[in-house]
Amino acid sequence: MRHVSRSILALAVAALVVVSADVPSAQTVNIKLASVVPEGSIWSNSLRQMSTEVSKETGGRVTLTVFAGGSQGDESTVLRKMRLDALQAAALTGVGLGTIDGAFNVFDVPFFFDSYDELNAVTAALTPTLAKRLDAKGFVLVNWGNGGWTQIFTKKPVNTVNELKKAKLWTSAGNDRMVQWFKSNGFEPRAMAMTDIMTGLTTGMVEAVPTTPIAALGYQWYKQTPNMLDIGLAPVVGATIVTKKAWNAIAAEDRQKILASAAAVQKQLEDNVPRTEATAIAEMQRRGLVVTKASGPEWRKEVDGLAATMRGEMVPKDMFDLALKARDAYRKQHPAAQAAPAAK
Amino acid sequence: MIPILSALEDGIAALALAAMVVLPLAEIVVRRIFGVGIPGSGPFVQHLTLWIGFLGAAIAARDGKLLSLATGTFVPEGRPRQIASAFASAVAACMSTILAWGAVQLVRSEREVGSIIAAGVPTWVGQLALPIGFTLIALRLAWRAGTSWFARALGAAGILVGIALIRYPGLLENRPAWPGLVVVLVAAAVGAPIFAILGGAGVLLFMSDGVTPATVLIETYSLSVSPTLPAIPLFTLAGFILAEGHASTRLLRVFRAWFGWIPGGTAVVCAILCTFFTAFTGGSGVTILAVGGVLFPALLKEGYRDRFSLGLLTTSGSLGLLLPPSLPLILYAVVAQIPIEDLFIGGILPGILLTAMIAAWGVREGMRFATTRHPFRTREAVASLWAAKWELAMPLVVVFAMFSGLATAVEAAAVTALYALLIQTVIHRDLSLRRDLVRVFVECVLVIGGVLVILGVAVGLTNYLVGVQLPAKLVNWVQAHIESRLAFLLALNVFLLVVGWLMEIFAAIVVVVPLIVPLGAAFGIHPVHLGIIFVANLELGFLTPLVGINIFLASYRFKRPVLEVCRAALPFMAILAIGVLVITYVPWLTTGLLTMFR
Repeated sequence: MRHVSRSILALAVAALVVVSADVPSAQTVNIKLASVVPEGSIWSNSLRQMSTEVSKETGGRVTLTVFAGGSQGDESTVLRKMRLDALQAAALTGVGLGTIDGAFNVFDVPFFFDSYDELNAVTAALTPTLAKRLDAKGFVLVNWGNGGWTQIFTKKPVNTVNELKKAKLWTSAGNDRMVQWFKSNGFEPRAMAMTDIMTGLTTGMVEAVPTTPIAALGYQWYKQTPNMLDIGLAPVVGATIVTKKAWNAIAAEDRQKILASAAAVQKQLEDNVPRTEATAIAEMQRRGLVVTKASGPEWRKEVDGLAATMRGEMVPKDMFDLALKARDAYRKQHPAAQAAPAAK
Repeated sequence: MIPILSALEDGIAALALAAMVVLPLAEIVVRRIFGVGIPGSGPFVQHLTLWIGFLGAAIAARDGKLLSLATGTFVPEGRPRQIASAFASAVAACMSTILAWGAVQLVRSEREVGSIIAAGVPTWVGQLALPIGFTLIALRLAWRAGTSWFARALGAAGILVGIALIRYPGLLENRPAWPGLVVVLVAAAVGAPIFAILGGAGVLLFMSDGVTPATVLIETYSLSVSPTLPAIPLFTLAGFILAEGHASTRLLRVFRAWFGWIPGGTAVVCAILCTFFTAFTGGSGVTILAVGGVLFPALLKEGYRDRFSLGLLTTSGSLGLLLPPSLPLILYAVVAQIPIEDLFIGGILPGILLTAMIAAWGVREGMRFATTRHPFRTREAVASLWAAKWELAMPLVVVFAMFSGLATAVEAAAVTALYALLIQTVIHRDLSLRRDLVRVFVECVLVIGGVLVILGVAVGLTNYLVGVQLPAKLVNWVQAHIESRLAFLLALNVFLLVVGWLMEIFAAIVVVVPLIVPLGAAFGIHPVHLGIIFVANLELGFLTPLVGINIFLASYRFKRPVLEVCRAALPFMAILAIGVLVITYVPWLTTGLLTMFR
């Protein structure tokens, strides 16, 4: 008797491991899209606009439900849900995109891009390659989202590279390779959760936070960091992606309609985000923020050296070279544009 | 064989907890000396929390200590009770089986992606805690369904039903979820563990929508490895270690000497102490685990009634959330886009009001039940302080570690745990390293696990409610049916109470705040006032049975059934409810200081 019971239990355990589920299909495709962009922000508004357009244009054959503000969890959580089909789409920031494929880290290379125009030109050149890499991981690239430009917010004024290296610099917890990169280049990185930035600044655990002006205003970090170094560290590049499974369930003509709506939204963000960013800086300046422009040969030299160290380490070599080629081609065509690293 | 395996399980759990203390400490030292920390120490500590939690839950299942509603004791003894309990266990085993399978799916998908935690350790290895934990729980629930072989067969049948539901998802998909939910509710009423009720409801609802039950586990995982969570087991450990020795006797002597002449002095001190601790540790019921074990015996020895003491400490666990630098206030300010310092200032008077009301209830208790009073004597006052100097220095250690820039909140918690260990073993020698240490660690792991397994599946259920946009629907209903400001505020109170009851606090802020902020503006409510109403209501929600976290924590910490804790907390809840109403309908309490500062 005892033996029999044990066998039943053993069977139960074995069955636990081997079973798997089959998945149904439906006529209307309901897509749940998650994003960490704050509710009510320029980005969440554009997602909702896309949602309205999609159901109108496709006559309700495709619905897009937007979960903004991180209500479906952080980006790794969202990706996990997408892989198991609990969510079908996401508007991700560079963090999430970098988790899918290191090639997306190309946008995070410090001081690589000088201006939004340069960024847009390089992005356009890289899009086919990046879309293919996403496809290999089971996702479809729908559009790009301009997220602003990272500047460095510091407690004490920073004028030289060495001064910046001495400051305790916040980096996002969970990205250990980035921490190691900062470390080996002589910076003092402090990895912690985004929720700890405020207390970190108050207690002096961190003294410098690289972030976008829009975020610094939104999260109120600027109150602890009265100095902004206008250095154009790196752009924040996001993207909307859909799982291949959901995408393939959509009729070809409806896909075109969705892509058209997404392209329009991308264009809007390209135009509006730089403007919102300028307003955010002006607003913080009105409340006492001091903006210092980083310029001169010292920054330039240091900056190119730092960018080169990312090649192969953070960004796959072929991707880095491709981006470099596209950027240099752009710079050759527009020689006037590259005066100094700047936010515009 | 079985005892050896159990001892091994205990050993692993205790070791994991020890590693969790050591790693952040090593991180502080290494960072000071070499300028940079240990690679991946943060993510590793977070995954240790997950392992401790689910090993702890498995141990709780082994020892029959999974938390359940006490309504099962209403079933008549004898045969009916045996059948009821076997049925409850079978349903719970079924739900655990589905959860275990969801966890397997999560691990598999993570393995395919090939992500790593840090230093080359794959993430899926870290996640293994979930399938292992839930499988052990399922098996143990079936085994403990009863002592008769009939009961155990029923338990095993529960597992088989679980497997059938996994194998043939069509049984649930696109069908109404209510029959399954009714079964789970009946099982809950006759004594199924709480995690099985919430987790079961979660997986059944998801599966009826054709979504994989792994969604619940994704949420469980992300809650368990969140960067701030490790502070909770560490503060808990510190509290457990302190409670083992004579720390409460020494503290009691201080309370007596300094406040013994006031009626209800000790109760007042307890309320104030808990308030500060909660404000500093970032909210939730950490307070109950950390200081409850020390304060409870002190209150009893001082002559307070058992029920009063239980209620007081359960309630005190959520006082202080309105006072700076409480984490929920910061989060609210960020989500609602109002200045953090405004919310801090706005919370001061309401926060003090709630603590004062509870303290006043303590004074009343002191007067009515004539707890012993002690005249103030300077010499004894000084001597008592000296005797308890090590324990009294503890809050200073926490505050110094956190505000000197030396340590993060998690590291400060590790320092606190080490400090508690040192004073108990080296200085006072209350605790023997050889005899007591493993036992205390395992007890602590069991409590953490019992709570984490509930919270972990509760966030899964929350995620379902978010997915079907229930909060938005409720808000729309309110908008359509309510016109007057007064009625709106009342509806808001009820709504937030339900939110606090059903949702974890941080999830609630992220999801609900963006919905109610425009509503509040439409009814002309000051944004800071709305924020304080929100957090105050959640405080109350923590005390509500089923998912009210303070109730669970108190039930575990003081080893009392859930219903008994609820009964004890009831008068306190009523007091807080009055307080919350006052805060809601007297906006001046919130905005008064604010206008003064401007």
